Amino acid sequence: MKNSAMFIIVELEGRKIRIPEGLTVIEALWDTGYDVKRGIGCLSGLCGACTVAFIERESTKVKFGLGCQKVAEEGLNVIMMPCFPSRAARYAMEAMAHPLEELGTHYPELYTCNDCGACNVCPEWINVAGVMKFAKDGDYEAAASRVTDCIMCGLCASRCPKSIAPQYVALYIQRALARERPFPPNLAKRLTQMESFVFEAEWSRIVAMGDDELKAYCAAMEGP
Amino acid sequence: MYPDSLCDSIAIVDATREKRKGEELLRLTSAEMEGLLRRYHPDYREAGFRNLRIGANRGDRTTHEIADLLEAFSNLDHSKISLEPEFDTDVLVLGGGGAGVTAALFAESMGARVILATKLRVGNSNTIMALGGMQASVHEDDSPVRHFADTMGAGKFAGKRELVKTMVEDGPAIVKWLLELGVDFDRDEEGNLATRKAGGITAPRIISIGDYTGLNIMKVLKDEIRKGEGIEVMEFAPAVELTTNGFGECNGAVLFDLGRKRHFTVRARAVVLATGGSGRLHFQGFPSSNNFGATGDAIVLAYRAGARLEGIDSFQYHPTGVMFPDHMVGVLVTEAARSLGGQLVNGKGERFINELETRDACSAAIIRECEEGNGVRTPAGKVGVWLDTPLIEETQGKGFLKRRFPSMYRHFMRVKIDISKRPLLTYPTLHYQNGGILIDEKGETTVRNLFTAGEAAGGIHGRNRAMGNSLLDIFVFGRRAGLAAAKRKYSEPGNVTLGHVYRYYDRLKSLRISSVATSPTLFPEFIVSKL
Repeated sequence: MKNSAMFIIVELEGRKIRIPEGLTVIEALWDTGYDVKRGIGCLSGLCGACTVAFIERESTKVKFGLGCQKVAEEGLNVIMMPCFPSRAARYAMEAMAHPLEELGTHYPELYTCNDCGACNVCPEWINVAGVMKFAKDGDYEAAASRVTDCIMCGLCASRCPKSIAPQYVALYIQRALARERPFPPNLAKRLTQMESFVFEAEWSRIVAMGDDELKAYCAAMEGP
Repeated sequence: MYPDSLCDSIAIVDATREKRKGEELLRLTSAEMEGLLRRYHPDYREAGFRNLRIGANRGDRTTHEIADLLEAFSNLDHSKISLEPEFDTDVLVLGGGGAGVTAALFAESMGARVILATKLRVGNSNTIMALGGMQASVHEDDSPVRHFADTMGAGKFAGKRELVKTMVEDGPAIVKWLLELGVDFDRDEEGNLATRKAGGITAPRIISIGDYTGLNIMKVLKDEIRKGEGIEVMEFAPAVELTTNGFGECNGAVLFDLGRKRHFTVRARAVVLATGGSGRLHFQGFPSSNNFGATGDAIVLAYRAGARLEGIDSFQYHPTGVMFPDHMVGVLVTEAARSLGGQLVNGKGERFINELETRDACSAAIIRECEEGNGVRTPAGKVGVWLDTPLIEETQGKGFLKRRFPSMYRHFMRVKIDISKRPLLTYPTLHYQNGGILIDEKGETTVRNLFTAGEAAGGIHGRNRAMGNSLLDIFVFGRRAGLAAAKRKYSEPGNVTLGHVYRYYDRLKSLRISSVATSPTLFPEFIVSKL
């Protein structure tokens, strides 16, 4: 431990405990001997495994965040809450001609949303309520363009009084939209080239090359 | 929020920005590159390595951390468990990242019954952290041959030609598959896949989804895997040993149920090992960008079963891992930041390497600067160099960073650092295991019925991996391993035994190797970077 470490008192998983200053919630749990595995993933704030709920000192409001990103401060009261249940529909998207039109079949609860805004607890700062409004109104491009950063942590679903799982609804829209886009012309061209063996002559030259010859060939690719 | 000591150093970066703007730094000649790597790249630091004394790669050089695990007994007390299979399946996929899920999906598509077991949750893997993008030769000025040449060159010609050829040739078809699943790659105005250049790449070839490429692909794959009944997913169930039959062929694995704290055995006609790399072994004390579970289990398990490894003395240190604030140490700053003009600047406000050099060269140069006293020290005693992100904002226009790197922007805003105004302190972070278990074009290892895909596999990236090739490789070889494994569904798995493990133990004993370590590691002991 760093010699100059300052200590603070926090309430971890309902227990008052002294920890060095500057640790994240997960580090604090490890530091105090908790064997946490279930709520841990990438440790970079990207996988959404380590959702936590906390009350800061002198605050009256419960807040939410990621345990690997939230740095513990004096008086913090925090618990981990991984694995909140969310309903994810089962579907075979390739079997649907126009999956966007079937959104309501798979996620009927979306249309019970009354814009209460409780879902706006996103650690990625996504305006979830706004996305759900776009989804309900059928402005799917607007909805999808706002959820690229969704890490599927499910905190929004944990707050919804109507049991909507916004992360799955948004993912459905993202996938459905992507499938309806025209096939990219540059990829189509490349695939046609490969199907007609355009590169085969070049490959057979490469296969026959010795090591030094290959090195010279690759260096020439880099150009001047 | 930076402390005062770092703000003083930032003032130097700010003061020299105008001067550095038009500066052209020459690329290294191959002799200079060689000299730089030999002197400063961690792969060449002999004190960090030793030769293996046991197994198929006996005499080969590897890091102490890996040698310790390979020269160790298992942490499983074999006398206390039953090998009577609790589950029987066609294909057992170990690992729930991009490679594992892809293998499972393709195996299922061939009509095989699949069990996918993973240490953490499905998707908790390094795949989601592949921020920058994926290589695929789809641009007009590009070709699979050019992709091949770039990949071979980046890997110092140590990669296996046939594997590299396989990867680049499958690339465009893999992109098509992902598009059809509903992966929404960024497009240009004409609807083409948008492509970008990156370090060591001679044509625009990186395709991406914002700065969350891997995450957005993984979300779709996770959604897809829930679709059918053919894939049974077992989370929080890491593999602790493979099993073999009387012929030494792989036929299943012993898994550990983390929740119930008990072992159980799955018998399978073929096993796909896709448990990723080994960054969390923190070689030579380096920070790591890897997820919590990346403890090199695949190489340990496969090696005991007799599989040959390849290139296990070569690792990628990503040049720009975060060094401040303390709790973000090791977290990646995407290479795209350098591709787009972010300069590396030392404590004196000088550039010291062309930022478009390959990752190994940039890392070695940063280590050189820090060792020569040109680094910048944080209050916690860590040393790094600046990545001048405000310069990108200046040259590309106001609001560019927020638009182009929304996640990175937000992650630093959380700690009150505005990357459009303040540079980032960076140092190389352990990022990727360049080598791994040797595979052939089907993804099969030297042990029959044992397949490997993803970072666990070796032979593709040689001694240095180019940006975006890992995201491609996991899907290409995941698919191939899944398809080939599914074809084994009519083979006879035979008795489930740990014969290979006992033979390995006998060998350890006869070589008088004793070790306090047990393996696989499964979870890193304790990661608190600031201690």
